[in-house]
Amino acid sequence: MAYPMQLGFQDATSPIMEELLHFHDHTLMIVFLISSLVLYIISLMLTTKLTHTSTMDAQEVETIWTILPAIILIMIALPSLRILYMMDEINNPSLTVKTMGHQWYWSYEYTDYEDLSFDSYMIPTSELKPGELRLLEVDNRVVLPMEMTVRMLISSEDVLPSWAVPSLGLKTDAIPGRLNQTTLMSTRPGLFYGQCSEICGSNHSFMPIVLELVPLKYFEKWSASML
Amino acid sequence: DLTLNTTTPNLSLSSTLSSPRATAYLQNSSHPPLWAHKCHWALDLKPFKLLGILDVENIPCARDSVLYGSLGSVVAGLGHFLLTSRIRRSCDVGVGGFIVVTLGCWFHCRYNYAKLRIQERLAREGIKNKILYESTHLDPARKQTNGGSSGN
Repeated sequence: MAYPMQLGFQDATSPIMEELLHFHDHTLMIVFLISSLVLYIISLMLTTKLTHTSTMDAQEVETIWTILPAIILIMIALPSLRILYMMDEINNPSLTVKTMGHQWYWSYEYTDYEDLSFDSYMIPTSELKPGELRLLEVDNRVVLPMEMTVRMLISSEDVLPSWAVPSLGLKTDAIPGRLNQTTLMSTRPGLFYGQCSEICGSNHSFMPIVLELVPLKYFEKWSASML
Repeated sequence: DLTLNTTTPNLSLSSTLSSPRATAYLQNSSHPPLWAHKCHWALDLKPFKLLGILDVENIPCARDSVLYGSLGSVVAGLGHFLLTSRIRRSCDVGVGGFIVVTLGCWFHCRYNYAKLRIQERLAREGIKNKILYESTHLDPARKQTNGGSSGN
C-alpha cells in the first residue's frame, strides 16, 4: 500500500512489477549521471574567465554530443521495449474475473464456474474500524488465488474510470463498450490496494480497489461461501 | 471468515530503524495503522537520495556504484593533476572518471544481481517441487534417476 509522503514505487508483488522496478533503477542511474554531468558543466561555465568569441566550428564535440545521447537512448529503449512486450504476454490464465466500473464503485464477476458477482464500495471514513486505511478500504474485497495467473477483463457501464493496482504494476482503462484485458500474477499473499486512475466524476477519488491474494484452498472456501 | 496477516512484507533495511511515533502505535494500539509498519522512516527518517532522486539506501547496487565511482573520480582526478599540474583538466578527468566508473560498477553489479535472482528462483522452485512431490511419480529426484537408468 502507499504511505504518506511516498515518492518511489511500492514493493513489487508480481514479476512484471519487479522488472519495472529494475528498469526504473537502470534509467534512474543514467539520469543521475547525466544530471551530475550537467551540474558540473554549469558550475564550470559559472567559474571561468575564458571566452572565445570567434568559434566557427566544433566538429569533434558536435560528433560526441550527437553519438553519445543516441547510445544512451538505445541503452534505455532496448530494456523498455522488452518490458513493454512482456507486459502484453498472456501466460495461460487459470481464472478469469470481470470488473465493471460504475459511478462510483467497481463490480466484480467470477463467472468461470458459477455466477458470482458483487459490488465493491469504499468504506466511508466515518465507518472505518481502528487500524483501517482511510479512502482505501472497501466493503467487499476482490479475493484471488496467489501464484496463479488471473485474467482481468475490465470495462465500464457509464464513464471512463481506470482500474489500477500499483504493487502489481497494473493500470487499465475501463471503457464503456470495450473489453480491456490484463493478466495478474502475485508472488505472495496479502492485501494490495489501488485507486481509480482516471477522472470519472465527483467521487473519482473514492472508488478504491483492494485485492486479497490468498492460497488456493482459501480462495475456494471463500468463493463457496459467497455463492 | 478468513483473516489475513496484514503486516507489510518486504520491509527495507531503513524500516528496521526505530521511530518514536510509529513505535508508539505499534506498542500501544491493538490495531496499529498499516503505515506505522512501513512509513515511520518517511515521517522521521527519510531515505537519503543523491541529488534528491537516487535512493542509494534501497536500490540494490546503487550505493556501491556511487562509492566506487567517487573513489575512481578521486584517483583519476588526483592522478591526472599529479602528472600534469592542470587543475581544470584534472577536474574534468575526475568527473569523467566518476561517470565511467559508476556506470561500469553499476552494470557489473546489476548483471551479477540478476544472475543471483535467477539462481534464487530456481532454488526456491526446486525446494518447493521437492517438498510437494516427494515420493510421488512427479518427484524431481525420481525423474533424474529414471533418465540416468534409461540411458544405459
